[in-house]
Amino acid sequence: MAKKRAVWLMTGFSLFLLLSGLFSRAFAETPGGAEEMMRRSALVQFYAGNDMKTKVTMRLRSKEGGERVRELLMARRNVKAGGDQKYFILFLQPADVRDMTFLVWKYPQRDSDRWLYLPAIKLVKRIAANDKRSSFVGSDFSYEDVSGRAVEEDNHALLREEKYAGKEVYVVKSVPKDEKSADFGYKVSWVDKGNFVLWKEEYYDKRGSLSRVFTADEVKPIQGFPTTVKRMMKNVQTGHWTEATFGEVKYDLGLADSLFSERSLKNPPKAFAR
Amino acid sequence: MLKRLVQYRRRLVEFSATHPRFVVGLTLLLTVAFGLQFPKIRIDTDPKNMLPETSQVRRYNDQVEGWFGLHPDVIVVGIRNEGGIFNPESLRRIERITDEVLKLPGIVARDVISLPTVDDVTVDGDTLRAQPLLARVPERAEDIDALRKRITGNPLVVNRLVSADGKVSALYVPIEKGANGKAIADRIKKITAAEKGPEQFFFAGDPVARDTFGIEMFRQMAWFSPLAGMVMMVALYFMFRSATLVVANMGVAMISIIWAMGFFIGLGVPIHIMASMSPVFLMAISTDTVHIFNEFHFRYKDVREKREAILQTMEATATPITYSDLTTAAGFASLAVGPIVPVKIFGLLVAVGTLVILLMSFTLVPALMALMKEERIERVNLKKDPGGVVSRLLYDVGRFATGRRTAVVLAGALLIGVSAVGIAWIRVNNNMIHWFKAGSEVRKADRVLNESLGGTATLYLVADAKEEGGIADPKVLRSLEGLQKEIEKRYPVGKTVSVADYVKRVNRVLHDDDPAHETVPDSRETIGQYLLLFNMAAKPRDLNNVIDYPYRKANVVVQLQSWDAVDTKALLEQIRGDLRANPIPGVEIRPAGIAYFNMVWNDEVLWGMLSGFLASCVLVLFLLVLAYRSFWWGIASFLPLFFTIVLIYGVVGFVGKDLDMPISVLSTLSLGLAVDFAIHFASRFRQRYGETKDVQEALLWTVARPGKGILRNAVLFASGFAAMIFAALTPYVTVGIFMMAIMLLSAAATILLLPALVVLFPRLLTKGT
Repeated sequence: MAKKRAVWLMTGFSLFLLLSGLFSRAFAETPGGAEEMMRRSALVQFYAGNDMKTKVTMRLRSKEGGERVRELLMARRNVKAGGDQKYFILFLQPADVRDMTFLVWKYPQRDSDRWLYLPAIKLVKRIAANDKRSSFVGSDFSYEDVSGRAVEEDNHALLREEKYAGKEVYVVKSVPKDEKSADFGYKVSWVDKGNFVLWKEEYYDKRGSLSRVFTADEVKPIQGFPTTVKRMMKNVQTGHWTEATFGEVKYDLGLADSLFSERSLKNPPKAFAR
Repeated sequence: MLKRLVQYRRRLVEFSATHPRFVVGLTLLLTVAFGLQFPKIRIDTDPKNMLPETSQVRRYNDQVEGWFGLHPDVIVVGIRNEGGIFNPESLRRIERITDEVLKLPGIVARDVISLPTVDDVTVDGDTLRAQPLLARVPERAEDIDALRKRITGNPLVVNRLVSADGKVSALYVPIEKGANGKAIADRIKKITAAEKGPEQFFFAGDPVARDTFGIEMFRQMAWFSPLAGMVMMVALYFMFRSATLVVANMGVAMISIIWAMGFFIGLGVPIHIMASMSPVFLMAISTDTVHIFNEFHFRYKDVREKREAILQTMEATATPITYSDLTTAAGFASLAVGPIVPVKIFGLLVAVGTLVILLMSFTLVPALMALMKEERIERVNLKKDPGGVVSRLLYDVGRFATGRRTAVVLAGALLIGVSAVGIAWIRVNNNMIHWFKAGSEVRKADRVLNESLGGTATLYLVADAKEEGGIADPKVLRSLEGLQKEIEKRYPVGKTVSVADYVKRVNRVLHDDDPAHETVPDSRETIGQYLLLFNMAAKPRDLNNVIDYPYRKANVVVQLQSWDAVDTKALLEQIRGDLRANPIPGVEIRPAGIAYFNMVWNDEVLWGMLSGFLASCVLVLFLLVLAYRSFWWGIASFLPLFFTIVLIYGVVGFVGKDLDMPISVLSTLSLGLAVDFAIHFASRFRQRYGETKDVQEALLWTVARPGKGILRNAVLFASGFAAMIFAALTPYVTVGIFMMAIMLLSAAATILLLPALVVLFPRLLTKGT
């Protein structure tokens, strides 16, 4: 049943992609068009497949060259395309945080629920924190950068169309409707006209100066989904940057909902950890 | 060679006396040309730049700032409410001010630290809550009370962001490199001024003091050096009653300042606060002109013919003027040998200015004398002999000095001996906050914040474990914790924070906020997981300030309640002792931060300055011996300089004033003045003795006639610079007092000590003259 619905959803979605590709120029001129573009980009960026699993290698670098490498397994399952999602994360490296697990239930409209398991003291704690501001596992990515920000929270406007790295792109400016709802003043996104991959994003702080730059450094199709396998977030103000490489990406594994539960924090399923 | 130079000099003087209008015109033209360079001026008001950016301490500080995401310049804004800040109004004010400050240009918004921007991790049953210390302002009394308990009970926060008594809260506002601390503080002041409540606001921190000082320094220079000049012009007028003389005298000073400054500005050299003092120095050195006019005054009375009087005057004064200007120039130029760039520029600037003064003495001054109307000189001199009383008095002084020669010399020796004791007490120390007067806003803000919080000066102790993950070792963290405990007992430490405090905090929070768990856990894994947990909940910046990315280095932030370089030095000595007694295996600890920088600055700049000054003194002594071709005359004419400096330093020691930057700069001034007096005295005495071969007569004549020039000079400058005692910055007050002391002491030493010595050791000092 769920599978059937998913197939319908996929078909509908592809049809929609195709149609809107034809009319893209038409809707690009209306403000609603820019918002639609961002919505579809978010779907490509954060909702590909019903579920996915990947091994993420993160390199965190500070200005003076100090480096921290983190390796983790990450699984995602969409509860609803464009809506709620669940993430399960298992840390592999460095050794002292090995077997730490992290569970996120993401809701586009409010702060996500997060649980963390600390194997050293065998303790699960729920964490209540602000998604807009807190960093994703200490990196330059925020939770929003990893799991998306609700498109409705911003006003979007198409700035121009141009070529970026050989691709035809839309350049969209997004300004938060509520100043307090974001850590940035506004952002500018470079969205591929063809497949809606987000190639680049610039975040400006509330005083209007550039603060962070996201770039998709390597994108390849996996199981038919354009997948950003290497991404970079540079904080141009601090000189820190984080590079995240997604390896062994697999979609539509049919991950069980039980993986994304408090119970599996302490005992992640063997099949997952392998 | 020397004869040829004397020839040139004579021709120059003759030419100037013959074509005065041409000389004056040309001088003015050149002055305009140099003056046109002034708009190109580049001012550097940052005392930090006394050490080049490539200096080791600045490089290391830059590195440390990079490792830990720290900022070199942080403004501290203190908010005090006598009734306590934990009430909805005060808290809302803090919130509003923070919001407004975050929008200011030139500040580093992401790293502003205040109650609404710093994350706190608390526990609430099964939930860890990460939110700003002040997420939203509570209204109900019990919520306010809970907030107060939560904040003042958090060791990461208390005495840093909020005082233990809850009356003071602080905002730490880092500013971008190159931003002006005073300008930003002024904008924050506008924000706080809009808040009408019982709170008081205080602005402290190194950039506020530094930039306020830099700007004030230039401003007060613009006020007080012309003021000193005016007072001197008035005094000069009453001495000579001749406007031409006054104009000539001040003109020479002005021209030397404009030429020398214009020359360096034209070369693109930045004018640093140190070089901004050079007008004062050049004004003082240009006193040569007074000697010339003093002599001209006497000569004209003798010969009654202007041109002849000019030539005779120049003949008599040329040698001492040349000697004194050349030794002064050499003394200042030798400052350029040292490593500190602004000191070099200052030394060269004054040296070039001194050479300009020398040139003017042989060109502009005779030209102006030639332009004076004869009847006017006549009238001045005939109407009254203004020096008559003074000359007679000086005659008596000369008789006293030669008659009671043993007593005079012994008194001098005694004073030097007593001063030596004072010198032993001298403390070489610099404290930029003390460059402001005790009642000033900067001093007050610093005092208030130091009394209620951990301290406005920051020292970093950077622990390097030499391997990745080394800091996350429980043994290392416990050692850091132990070190902090030791340090916190020491003066002037008010507060320390390290990664150990964060780990302890997480440990406590995870154990249901049980204070018994405010400890460093036993396993490396637990520590690693705590750190990751903290990073996942709060802003990574907070941890980054105390531990680097690979967990190889940790930063112990030490807040100091004193800006005294000597206090930092003593503290670091003690810490070194602690570490020798309880070493942390495998970990090396190095100091950094602004407090450490100030300490190094103190050592390098002050000691550099002092050693440069001592080297200059030796050089001057050497030149004096060379000039007189007599070892003993070299020593004798060096004595007033020696006497002046020893006495001043002695008093500095006895009074307990620190030997700081202003004093060390001003010491060099004695090179220009004391030597000047002594050379005039010695040269004129030797000339006179050569003519009359009567020691007693020559001495009395010298004391009465060139001595009058010396005395006039001394009084002139003492009165001129007395005005500076009323300046708002202590360095200027020091300039005022120092200038008077140098003038009076070196004049006294010259007029009393030298005649006494000559009669006491006649064979050593009359031989060969």
